[in-house]
Amino acid sequence: MSQANLSKNQKPGLLNTENQRTLTWVLFLLPALLVYLVFMAGPLFDSLRLSLYTGKGYNPTEFIGFQNYIDLFTVPLWREKFFNAVTNTCIFFAIHMIVQNSLGLLFANLLSSDFKGRNFFRTLIFTPTTLSVLVVGFLWTLILNPNWGAVNQVLVGIGLEQWALPWLGRENLALPIIALTSVWQWIGMPTVMFLAGLTGISEELLEAASIDGASEWEIFWKIKFPLIQPVLGIIAILTFVDNFNAFDVIYAMAGAKGEPAYSTDLLATLFYRTGIAGEHPTGIPNMGMGATIATITFIILMSGVLLWLYLSRRNADETK
Amino acid sequence: MQKKLFVVLSILILASLVLTACGTPAPKDVTLTLGSWRTDDVAAWEAITTAFHAKYPNITVKFDPTNPPDYNATLRSQLETGTGPDLFFVRSFGVGRELFDAGYIASLKDLPGINDTFSAGARAPWATDSGEPYAVPIAAVSHGIFYNKDLFAANGIEVPTSWEDLMAASQKLLDAGVTPFANGTKDAWDINEVVMMQLLPSDVGGYDGRMAYLNGDRCFNDPEIVAAFQQMADLKPYLPAGFEATSYADAEQLFAQGKAAMFFDGSWSIGQIKKDATAFQWGVFYPPALKGKDTYVSFHVDAAIGANAASKNLDAAKTFLAWLETPEFAALIGNNLPGFFPMTNEIPSLTDPIANDFMNFNKQAKGVDIRFVWEKLMDAPTDKVNAYTSLNNNVISVLKGEKTPEEAANAFNADVADWYGPASKCK
Amino acid sequence: MLRTKFNRALTYIVLTVWTIIVLFPLWTLIVNSFKPQNEIFADPFGLPKNFTLDGYIEVWKAGHFGLYFTNSLIVTILSLTLILFIGSMAAYALAKWKSRVSNFLYVFFIAGLMIPIRLGTIDLMRLIIALNLQNTIWSLIPVYVAMGMPIATFVLTAFIKELPNEMFDAAKVDGASEWQVYSRVVLPLMRPALATVAIFNMIKIWNDFWFPLVFIRQESARTVALGVSLLFGQYHTDWTRALAVLSLAAIPLLILYILLAREFIKGLTAGAIKG
Repeated sequence: MSQANLSKNQKPGLLNTENQRTLTWVLFLLPALLVYLVFMAGPLFDSLRLSLYTGKGYNPTEFIGFQNYIDLFTVPLWREKFFNAVTNTCIFFAIHMIVQNSLGLLFANLLSSDFKGRNFFRTLIFTPTTLSVLVVGFLWTLILNPNWGAVNQVLVGIGLEQWALPWLGRENLALPIIALTSVWQWIGMPTVMFLAGLTGISEELLEAASIDGASEWEIFWKIKFPLIQPVLGIIAILTFVDNFNAFDVIYAMAGAKGEPAYSTDLLATLFYRTGIAGEHPTGIPNMGMGATIATITFIILMSGVLLWLYLSRRNADETK
Repeated sequence: MQKKLFVVLSILILASLVLTACGTPAPKDVTLTLGSWRTDDVAAWEAITTAFHAKYPNITVKFDPTNPPDYNATLRSQLETGTGPDLFFVRSFGVGRELFDAGYIASLKDLPGINDTFSAGARAPWATDSGEPYAVPIAAVSHGIFYNKDLFAANGIEVPTSWEDLMAASQKLLDAGVTPFANGTKDAWDINEVVMMQLLPSDVGGYDGRMAYLNGDRCFNDPEIVAAFQQMADLKPYLPAGFEATSYADAEQLFAQGKAAMFFDGSWSIGQIKKDATAFQWGVFYPPALKGKDTYVSFHVDAAIGANAASKNLDAAKTFLAWLETPEFAALIGNNLPGFFPMTNEIPSLTDPIANDFMNFNKQAKGVDIRFVWEKLMDAPTDKVNAYTSLNNNVISVLKGEKTPEEAANAFNADVADWYGPASKCK
Repeated sequence: MLRTKFNRALTYIVLTVWTIIVLFPLWTLIVNSFKPQNEIFADPFGLPKNFTLDGYIEVWKAGHFGLYFTNSLIVTILSLTLILFIGSMAAYALAKWKSRVSNFLYVFFIAGLMIPIRLGTIDLMRLIIALNLQNTIWSLIPVYVAMGMPIATFVLTAFIKELPNEMFDAAKVDGASEWQVYSRVVLPLMRPALATVAIFNMIKIWNDFWFPLVFIRQESARTVALGVSLLFGQYHTDWTRALAVLSLAAIPLLILYILLAREFIKGLTAGAIKG
């Protein structure tokens, strides 16, 4: 009762309309914020603090300021490992960005038209996504195996023996191949999201263009593509964030060391080896340096995301 | 004989102590968990813990292994938060020592019988510099080359007596269209631990030779180390065509399926190979030394079990540890897990013929020694490359043809001399 | 007309090639799990000649798959429900509350996407022990719900922002409260975005074995991912059994997906993110 009166009269006080609205929003946010703060943000940010410490184990206690950061960029061994991981991570991300998303767009475009068997293909394309990385890694390692794998048997069978390579054992091949395996698994995600975007385009618009004599190619680039820009943006940023933190597929197919010879070592495997597991076979973790690597990865990702947010907001303003 | 009597007596005393401690009223039932990295051996360990339970009906031990790549990390996170297993496998030298120094492993200086059951040499990998033990050594492992007797006979090859013979035999096999060796480099660790470090003792002259490197009397790029890298280069043409992508498990299968004639491996694989290689006769020999050199066997201290210092059932855990000193346990591990050799002074007779073949290597050889880099050479500061990693990388470089044996030896030497005090003059 | 036919043919060719690439590994997995070890290497891609169920029988005896599935199902369903519910509420506020606080919170939420969660393991474990949840499946749920928040708020907020303003205004004019707008207007419209978030998180939660590995030592609280990774370690050189383990891990989710695929794809594309 009194609440309603207060808001009607716009009296200054705790429960005027403005505060009441704020209170509503806070209530909407509270459950998510609490869980997130207690079980994720808190532990994570507390752990980033460890980048200022050194010592063995998971709770280093010796405060050294920014020495870990200085070491990471100046001590040859760290610098080499770190920049190697950064380069590999960029390549890994780029392969996903280009191959996964353009193939996804192609499949979505094919699957958005109506034809016999469409539902079968739609179901199929997402199937690998449901598999665990353990399964995906084991299967593709088996198929690419130089001794009895299908790929090399086929190549030998059609007379291309010189192409029957030890795929996962070559430094220049292992990373692209593992990235493509990951594309195989995750392609359903962009496909389905693009499909959602394409299905949203009005039929009349496409028909009109078709009647005007525009080719499929022109329709795609001139009408569909501009209209799915927002989806493209979300997919791009998800690809970026997911693959800059990629760990599982490398761990399953190339081990925590990113074999062969660190050629598949990503930022996340470097972090895991440094901060969590320790190098084989000594296995003594250096959590301070691990947290340093995680912090820098975080900074790279955060700048990417903020840039994206800024650009998409500017875009939105322009279109309005 | 007297020693045995002493052990038995001390165990009786300990048992009665435990009984009185838990004592009247009737001892409470406790369950202990035993952490391990031996996921392959679940069945054998269940047999062992069942035998223990039969002796101590109020204590149940549950074998609870973690996959080797995750073992260090999970054990450590559990120890640091006080949820670790009551008993766990402890790695030798620096790694285990670090956990003890951090206070996670209970001291065993009062464990009865430990000094009499095991030699100082057997205890050392799990003891402080002053000799305070913190884990009971349970098993050593040996190494060797498993070979396909049928393929050897078909190609008129005898077990070689020198490295040169071995290479000649390999060439003969290759000419006959048989892949001589199954080993690959995909998993990296195996080429290092079961090939390079199997050859090194003969190259450097066993324990004394290794000590000369550790003391700084010899450098890590001297002719003996170059010779070892040269042996890796010798092996290259005899590895499978896609060796770079052949994993340890693949290699074992290549041998077991009769697709490769020989397989450098450890004694721990006896059970596995027995199960898989059923279509042909096979045996094992130790890789012979280069002509003019003596053969030394890589017989490595592998595992010990320690007690969690924070365990609520430390007494029961120590009862189990004391039982690990008994001849009963030694026979159980030696026979249930052929290829794991008890480290007690008195070694029970083993029933497995292949396990006995491995034991005979030790008798026939000039001497035995642990793996080359395990002691001291892995304790590098975090911003330097330890000897294990450096050796591993350089061995693979030689096999891939990226470095000559001399270049590899020089790179190995540079990595070690960079931080290992006694080797500093080798820079 | 010719052009349409040509396009159609091209569609089929492209999709058939991809179908083979998708199905071949699954074929390899399933046929080989019914072969004895020797046959796997002798003939890795044909139908089994010496059909055997040994792998499955052995693996089923060694692990308690029924139990693992129950545990995984409880954890996944409860976590997903909570993620979708509290995540969508938060996303609604983040999208519609125009203030500095909400802008900051939006960035704060998505920041969680960018740090490897393993980094916080030790702190999380202390928390779980303080709550006395270790060794139970309940230890996993709050962690997974928290892990799901960044992606939920990110995708759902972006989605709500794309919805035309008129929809909200119309409801407001009718005197609906924010809660009513959320539950009657926004939630139904959000179905496709909720499906995306659900699928993303479901796969992550179902397949995660890191947290079960560090939180749970009790057999009775193991999840499928943990059970499978342990059994896989135990049998990694015994391929018949390893493949049986992997099949057992993959097939239930696969069947579940195939049963729900139509709904899922329809849900995703029905509302659609309007361009």
